Amino acid sequence: MKKLSTLLMTGFVLAIVSCTKDPLPDQLSAGALEADRLTLDPEEFPYATLSQYGFFDGPMANQRPVAGVVPFQPINTLFTDYAHKKRFMWMPAGTQATYSGDGEVLDFPDGCVLIKNFYYDHVQPMDRTRIIETRLLFKRNGAWEFADYVWNEEQTEGYLDLMGSNTPITWIDDNGMERSTLYRIPSEAECLTCHKSHDVAVPIGPKPQNLNGPFAYRDGVKNQLDHLTKVGYLSARRPKRIRTVPHWEDTGLSLNERVRGYVDINCAHCHKEFSHCDYRPMRFAFNETDDPVNLGVCVPPDDPLLPQHTHIVSRGSTGRSLLHYRLASTDEAVRMPLLGRTLVHDEGLALITEWINSLEPACP
Amino acid sequence: MRKPILLSLAALSGQFLTAQNTCPTALPIGEGSYQVTAIDGQVSPVNCLGGNPTLAEWYTFTSPVDTGVIVTTEVVGFPLVDTRIQVFSGTCGALVCHASDDDGGNGLSSLVQFYAAANVTYIIEFDNRWSSSGFHFTLSLFPPPPPPVDLIQFSPVSIPGMGYNMAAVDMNNDQLDDMLSPSASSVRIGYQQPDGTFNFVTIATETATHTASWSMCVGDLDKNGANDLMYGSGSGVSLMFSNEEGTSFSATNYPNYVFCQRTNMVDLDNDGNLDAFSCHDVDANVAFMNNGVDSLIFEQGGYGETCGNYGSVFTDYNNDGLVDLFVAKCGCDPEDLLMPNSPGGIFTDVAPELGLNDTHQSWSSAWGDFDNDGDMDVMIGSSSSSVHKLMRNNGDGTFTNITNEAGANANNGQSIEWTTHDFNNDGWLDILGGAGLLVNDGDGTFTMDVSAPDNGPVGDMNNDGYLDVINSGLININQSAGNNWLRVQPVGSVSNSNGIGARIVVTTDGLQQIRDVKSGDGFRYMSSLMAHFGLAQAQTATVEVRWPSGIVDHIQDVTANQVLVVYEGLSTASVFEAVTPEIAVHPVPARDRITISGAETNNRPARIYSTTGALVRSATIRANTIGIEDLSQGVYILEVTTTDGALRTRFVKD
Repeated sequence: MKKLSTLLMTGFVLAIVSCTKDPLPDQLSAGALEADRLTLDPEEFPYATLSQYGFFDGPMANQRPVAGVVPFQPINTLFTDYAHKKRFMWMPAGTQATYSGDGEVLDFPDGCVLIKNFYYDHVQPMDRTRIIETRLLFKRNGAWEFADYVWNEEQTEGYLDLMGSNTPITWIDDNGMERSTLYRIPSEAECLTCHKSHDVAVPIGPKPQNLNGPFAYRDGVKNQLDHLTKVGYLSARRPKRIRTVPHWEDTGLSLNERVRGYVDINCAHCHKEFSHCDYRPMRFAFNETDDPVNLGVCVPPDDPLLPQHTHIVSRGSTGRSLLHYRLASTDEAVRMPLLGRTLVHDEGLALITEWINSLEPACP
Repeated sequence: MRKPILLSLAALSGQFLTAQNTCPTALPIGEGSYQVTAIDGQVSPVNCLGGNPTLAEWYTFTSPVDTGVIVTTEVVGFPLVDTRIQVFSGTCGALVCHASDDDGGNGLSSLVQFYAAANVTYIIEFDNRWSSSGFHFTLSLFPPPPPPVDLIQFSPVSIPGMGYNMAAVDMNNDQLDDMLSPSASSVRIGYQQPDGTFNFVTIATETATHTASWSMCVGDLDKNGANDLMYGSGSGVSLMFSNEEGTSFSATNYPNYVFCQRTNMVDLDNDGNLDAFSCHDVDANVAFMNNGVDSLIFEQGGYGETCGNYGSVFTDYNNDGLVDLFVAKCGCDPEDLLMPNSPGGIFTDVAPELGLNDTHQSWSSAWGDFDNDGDMDVMIGSSSSSVHKLMRNNGDGTFTNITNEAGANANNGQSIEWTTHDFNNDGWLDILGGAGLLVNDGDGTFTMDVSAPDNGPVGDMNNDGYLDVINSGLININQSAGNNWLRVQPVGSVSNSNGIGARIVVTTDGLQQIRDVKSGDGFRYMSSLMAHFGLAQAQTATVEVRWPSGIVDHIQDVTANQVLVVYEGLSTASVFEAVTPEIAVHPVPARDRITISGAETNNRPARIYSTTGALVRSATIRANTIGIEDLSQGVYILEVTTTDGALRTRFVKD
């Protein structure tokens, strides 16, 4: 019986892996806790350069974490102009995160650092990989702080810069199509706009509902929550069953489930209580979207951009759905999400289109 | 294709017809019930509602007497279809939008109501913007109401090629408002011609790193006589400096991150040079300070320190001669700010003391003297509910909430744009926002007119003396008529070129009106820089311009229905010739204080001017006296703003 469930699990894992856009690392460190694992003094954060942390082994551009720097990947990830991302976490010796709810960010210990590299593959004209920035969230005295390291042209170092800037980039995407954008490296104020609750900085992705999925570690594919516990980064005191987000790209799921997964990671950071845009009626967090009203279905918008926008989501009519109009726009005063994208997420928009078209009957 | 007409014998639903496929073959109909089996005819070249319909069906209606008409596709007993209706006057070759509706009926069906004049043929078109499916509709008549007295009608007009415009501002100093459509590499200006046409010119600019995606404003930053542009984007500010001829623009792109919302040009430190200002959505507000010589310098802090800044407006609410800052706020820190300005450009929040620190999610506010008592009142409109707040300025530094007693609670809509203008030229400021237009009745109350267009750049786009509203690629032409008007264009020299921040006072028989010249009101757009006044039936007016420099220009016997250009300090009559007989002061001469008699002046604002018109002091009169101890010897003018208007007298300081 146990064997069977493992097999089923593996099947599930493969299904997910096959449709994940971020290439899965094959040689990332499992982060097994060893005597020589990375030690850092959080009082010295943030360093002027990324290399001072020593997160990576060998040439930094290889993104191979040292012992104690553990890779992870949420089941659903925010669309940011098709950038690829690699995420890692590090904690001081003898500390660990604890569970505080399926949909709550893990309660991380002081000193913890969440690390996220933003990069593109097949960057033109050299067709190489280019790491643009490494964003850090670190926790000190109970509060999260931001740091952002902008990588140099040589891809040998990242320099602390929270002023915000733009960099043009052209690349060949996973479908072989050339794309270009003026990539936005956020300023501190932009970081906080999305990463906040009650005006205090918070992480977004590392919630049990989003980590209760597989990851291909160097020593094999494992459940991420189990792995974090095994390496000592997550307390074992947590429920066995985690209400887990549906993978938005999993075509085996219903459109509604996929949409709920999509808006949870792409929209909920602003559209939930105590966040940037909580004065509008939508509530996009996964644990709130079982009620279609929270998705905006048949809800008139506060600010209809055009007279045709009768509802946030108008069943069966993308033309009347303000949500669709905003996702399809690149005008920065119209588009949603507000920050983090300048391009339309074609695959995400296709999902939303299919979903709205499938809804019936028409809104009264 | 001409379709056969089927006359149904079904007694219950009356006539059944198939519609006609082109405008010239439109089927004349009267009161009754009709069926369209499918929309498959030719679409109208004129589109009053936007979108790109491809097919349509056509009818006409003519009545021998004036009548009200309702056409609706919401017909009992039949499914509701997502239809649209446009009603035109004119001819098939020259269709004029008369009325239209998309979703006025239940379930996305349409309901349009219009007045048909006797013996005029109205052309009715149903198009397939949303659906080509068949539907039923009825045409019914109702008696026409008495002609609307105060309600203000607008007719949407599409100027070929006008596109999306952000501003309605005179760009070539011909006292005609032009329209502006900026992009990252050009600005297209539609120059209004005296004959009512527009001459569109696209001027290539240096590249704007930041486009006007969130807002724009206009003013002469470098005092070269030509208006410059400020673009506010989600990541920062670009300034576009015009050459003297207004024919080319060079860009200054600021690297500083600003999540721009409302942008403004205003002389923050009163040094005679316009500064640039932007609300910041996620951080403290920012300014770009202009010393008249160097590039404008980025500054942050001092204008509201927390995030959630959406709608800034600069007006002198306390009548001290300095523009103050109000910030409508929303989102992360939604408490509105009111920051009076003190000399040197120091702004301090007093909203909590005055009951203006609301948290009702506002993106803009409309400041104007709604009751014509000489001070600026405010409508703070909500963007997420219909809980708006109309606050009367009591003239003594306090405000009273008059939302309900003034009938402003009849505005049960919400919007991000709120502005105030006198749209019917009756001398009383109306408020545009929410569910439409609150028309000022002139007696302390407002009447709601839900037929008004949505906000947009406001200016007189057909030079008929009435303000029009640009939006959605259309000019909503104001159809009002019969009242007189006056428009004042200040041209500064000591003060900034546009007279932004100037207080303009227009006095006619029994009415005194004030405007503060602004670059940037509402949330996103830029409206005319000329101060527009409705004069009702008055033929002449007295105009006073109180410049930010303290200079006052005073012009008497100004004829109505013109644009009056006032050059700073060059008016034919200066303030000391405008002494009014109602008040007197003693002693003469005076040393420490003067006591005022002849009018109720207690707790009223007063100003003391030099004989050259320079503002020397602003104060509030207490116990009918005002201290003058520290003035130097000489002759001065005292001006008191009373409920009867501004009263002036001379006094001598010993």
